[in-house]
Amino acid sequence: MNGFLSTYGFLIVSMVMGALLGLSLYLPLMTGQLSLASPGFYALGGYIAAILSTQVFKVSDGLYPIGLVLLEMSIAGVVSGVLGVLVGIPALRLRGIYLAIATIAFVEVLRVLSLNLDITGGAVGIFGIPQPFLTPIEYLWIAIPLLLVTMVLLYRLERIRLGRAFTAIREDELAAGAMGIDPTHYKVLAFTLGAILAGVVGAVSAHFLNTWNARQGTFDASIVYLTSVLIGGTRTFVGPVLGGMVFTALPEVLRAIADTAGLPLWLAQFLRDGRLIIFGVLIVLGTIFFPQGLVTPDLFKRQKNRKSHS
Amino acid sequence: MNPPIPLLEIRELYVNYGGIQALQNINLTVNAGEVVTLIGANGAGKSTTLRAISRLINPRSGQIVYQGRDITRRPPHEVVRLGIAHSPEGRRVLARQTVLDNLELGAYTRSNSAEVKADLDRQFEIFPRLAERRLQLAGTLSGGEQQMLALARALMSRPKLLLLDEPSLGLAPAIVREIFSIIRDLRATGVTILLVEQNAKLALESGDRGYVLEAGRITLTGQAANLLNDDQVRKAYLG
Repeated sequence: MNGFLSTYGFLIVSMVMGALLGLSLYLPLMTGQLSLASPGFYALGGYIAAILSTQVFKVSDGLYPIGLVLLEMSIAGVVSGVLGVLVGIPALRLRGIYLAIATIAFVEVLRVLSLNLDITGGAVGIFGIPQPFLTPIEYLWIAIPLLLVTMVLLYRLERIRLGRAFTAIREDELAAGAMGIDPTHYKVLAFTLGAILAGVVGAVSAHFLNTWNARQGTFDASIVYLTSVLIGGTRTFVGPVLGGMVFTALPEVLRAIADTAGLPLWLAQFLRDGRLIIFGVLIVLGTIFFPQGLVTPDLFKRQKNRKSHS
Repeated sequence: MNPPIPLLEIRELYVNYGGIQALQNINLTVNAGEVVTLIGANGAGKSTTLRAISRLINPRSGQIVYQGRDITRRPPHEVVRLGIAHSPEGRRVLARQTVLDNLELGAYTRSNSAEVKADLDRQFEIFPRLAERRLQLAGTLSGGEQQMLALARALMSRPKLLLLDEPSLGLAPAIVREIFSIIRDLRATGVTILLVEQNAKLALESGDRGYVLEAGRITLTGQAANLLNDDQVRKAYLG
């Protein structure tokens, strides 16, 4: 067991983080907004944690206190939330593909800024971010509660007034407006909640990865998390959770397959480096064959019916 | 006799869609308790007028006064809260949600859940077919049932003024008669209605007064009965 955890601990924590980032993309999608801004807020949260822990708090001896990590997470969440409102208000005037493009631009702006600012360490980034734990797997002490709390909140959200307003806006904005739901208000709210979540996850990730640079939270990451949400399912929060886990693990699985002996060299290389191509193909196939994703609310209903009949 | 109290008054309303003038100098009043009908050809500006009132579109100039207060620049959700409900053209029910969800969303601006529950029961009394199908997805209802749902949903906000856009659109004559008999019943309960309808004869028969819209302007107005007998109206709209 210990051997397994030390080999796969890193991957397991990454999968939980992937699930959380999937959810941060799912939140704006609840109101029908295709936003790819999550990786930008993720990067921002990571830089906030990296800068605070290496330059402000400076704990030199022993393990870094978890309390400070939690404080960094809160600060990252607040800053991401404020930026989320500021970006959300103008960006959410756009719809569909135009919003997607605008949010990609936002992620790029943050990336270029972090490459060129001194405080973010330029192209080198920030390294030697202090560790609150001895082994990677222990990050689950933060990641799992965060995922559970987020899932419980989303479960509740999908069942209260606010969630109904989100769904109504996704289905028919004009009808929602005619019913007295203010679409702009709720769209900005959903976008901001997604931003906060991504920022908080970024703060944890910075410690987890030990270094933080402009390669974190790029356009590539947007596509990966978009895949996990689209394939996982866009109608219930369970979809992005499963999708986020599966698609974080997928590159590792592909790498393992590539290592099997006897594969032609080109295929092995494609499995290792063709990740984005594979994800792209999956998005296309997924939207054709599973337009609502693999996990749909009907799936649960069917399960329930089956149980009640037997 | 006192002059009737205007519930809604539109003064010199102009609406543009891009470069096109959709409405020009619209003046219109709806008194409390009345059923007022807007008739006109396709594209004359009937739906645009309703959308301007419920604030789903912005007028270029003019004034919309409701209960003595200027709502021309108020956001749509505030207008709903003030008691104006809009049942939009094409019904616009939320297809993936149940009948019950749709109705509850209609009461979105209200917070007293006991009252909302009572109104929900009332809708099921008026529309027994919706009660039978309360857990069915709205998208699986027939056109007539969807129209009833749209109507019931609008009533869930407990409106003082109900804006009805083309309730007969695409429905079989028997269903249309049913819908209009419900509209007449509503009127008896004191809901004021501004009705947009292609079926001019039916609309005028159910209304007190009417306005005729042509290419974004009001060309004729009067008592519904007089409009029904007007030569011009008969020729253009009653066939």
